[in-house]
Amino acid sequence: MLKQDQVELIHREIDGANTPEERAAFRSLVETNAEARVLEAGLRSVVQLFDRVGNREPPPHLRRAILDALPQPARASSRTTLQRAVDGMRLVTERMGEAIMSRKAVLIGSAAVAIVLVVAGIVTGWPPRGGESGTIGGVEAAARYHGRAMTEADVSLKNPEIQALFQNDQVLQLVRSDAFRQVMDNQSYRTLLASQAYRDIVANQAYQQAMASQAYQQLMGSQAFQTLQANQAYQSLIASQAFRDLQANSAYQSLMASQAYQQVAAGQAYQSLMASQAFRDLQANSAYRDVMASQAYRDIVASQAYQQAMASQAYQQVAASQAYQSLMASQAFRDLQASSAYRDIVANQAYRDIVAGQAFRTLQASEAFRTLAQSQALSQAFMREAMRTQN
Amino acid sequence: MKETRAEADEQDRTLVERYLKGQRDAATGLVDRYHQRLFNVALRMLNNVQDAEDVTQTVFLNAFVKLRTFDPRYRFFSWIYRMTVNESLNALKRRKPTVTLEDEPDILAPGAPPDRGAEAEDRVGRALMGLRPDDRALVVLKHFVSFSYEEIAGVLEIPVETVKSRLFTARERLRLALGEGVR
Repeated sequence: MLKQDQVELIHREIDGANTPEERAAFRSLVETNAEARVLEAGLRSVVQLFDRVGNREPPPHLRRAILDALPQPARASSRTTLQRAVDGMRLVTERMGEAIMSRKAVLIGSAAVAIVLVVAGIVTGWPPRGGESGTIGGVEAAARYHGRAMTEADVSLKNPEIQALFQNDQVLQLVRSDAFRQVMDNQSYRTLLASQAYRDIVANQAYQQAMASQAYQQLMGSQAFQTLQANQAYQSLIASQAFRDLQANSAYQSLMASQAYQQVAAGQAYQSLMASQAFRDLQANSAYRDVMASQAYRDIVASQAYQQAMASQAYQQVAASQAYQSLMASQAFRDLQASSAYRDIVANQAYRDIVAGQAFRTLQASEAFRTLAQSQALSQAFMREAMRTQN
Repeated sequence: MKETRAEADEQDRTLVERYLKGQRDAATGLVDRYHQRLFNVALRMLNNVQDAEDVTQTVFLNAFVKLRTFDPRYRFFSWIYRMTVNESLNALKRRKPTVTLEDEPDILAPGAPPDRGAEAEDRVGRALMGLRPDDRALVVLKHFVSFSYEEIAGVLEIPVETVKSRLFTARERLRLALGEGVR
């Protein structure tokens, strides 16, 4: 039986760490002790096997991916963290076909910012500019239908609010369209408008501030953003089951509401995002991985419209705004995302077709419309009234 | 000619300083010097190419973000290897316990050497995965990065004597695990 110091002597010899004196002692040991020879031979074989295996060449894309995801040296660039993340995301998606990237926290996070932002707007329609909302009953209008049931009598041209809506040719044209009829007949849409989550979000001060901000309106009005909205991949993603499942995922919602995520959105330290439990939970979520791996998602991120929108100053101002961050962190927004009616209507093609238009925004800003849209009978009365109205 | 440790340290220091002065090409220099080595450490720690890529990217991202707080009196290589080992250990903790090598037959597929090389690779991978992760780190740093005991101690921030005793024990386990077929 070898003593411990003899075993160590052999190991050190294998590692080339013995002094000349120790080497002499080692040689003497293996000459006289069979067990020592067996141990030495076995250890050398292990080391030789390691040497034979050697080091592997990293995948060729790895170097480029690392470099593109790195933060810029501080004095070299004024690009924001978010913008760098977007650039990184583009690169990540180029190789997404090879595997789902599970550790590209920040990069993926930036895309999530964009998607959430887009969906946040879609849900209620983009509110009109500040001046319009007061004239036709925007979000700050008196809740004149609260406390009593709206009747068909309210849905007539005698109602000044309805009259104002129908005086707008675009609105009138929209209300008479088949797409609009489909949306009005959609149970999810009515359920959504009747939901507490929807009412809370519309009444949410952060929401109103974010939507009313100049940066937000610039973003919505930008060509890049409108192109993105019309992008088939974008529409496919929004309609996909994986995306809907993702929005219902509590880890995703927690991440959106997390302080770390807001710091990322604000272009500050994003290290904490990667370390957050919510992000780790999200990574384990199959819907999330499905979204990240989907062709639609890859197409979106690769699209010029997406990259322009993300790189725009307007987008970055919105993402960095206190109002937007408060909105993301609000319970109302999380409730909304968790609502199946919300997910269903956002996935509806007819809804998406009409939601980006100014006419629909005008309608959505009307309290009368939001109230009547909760009822199929009142919706039909509204559309009948539109048909009777002279252009 | 192979770079000495002192030369390597000096080169690292220069690149770090240049990066902190805003020179982007210094980052490229550091990535070029280390990305292959760190990838291989992560690969041996995790036995999975994809996870190793993820760890390597994360380590560089973290390293460059934290570089401003890096104390130049310390060695860059110790710092970044330590991050790699720690990030690999974190990745192992996050792994689903039900996922085994058998569940992922293509786990070593991308870029794996063919025929006998692949077999050796597979055997080494499995044997290393049979070690405790902390001990695996010692073996990987010794045999795949060729660090001295002292350098390993510096990376893992443990005494040299601890490095030796744990390395020897781990290597004995490998000898027994790989058995006669090791030759």
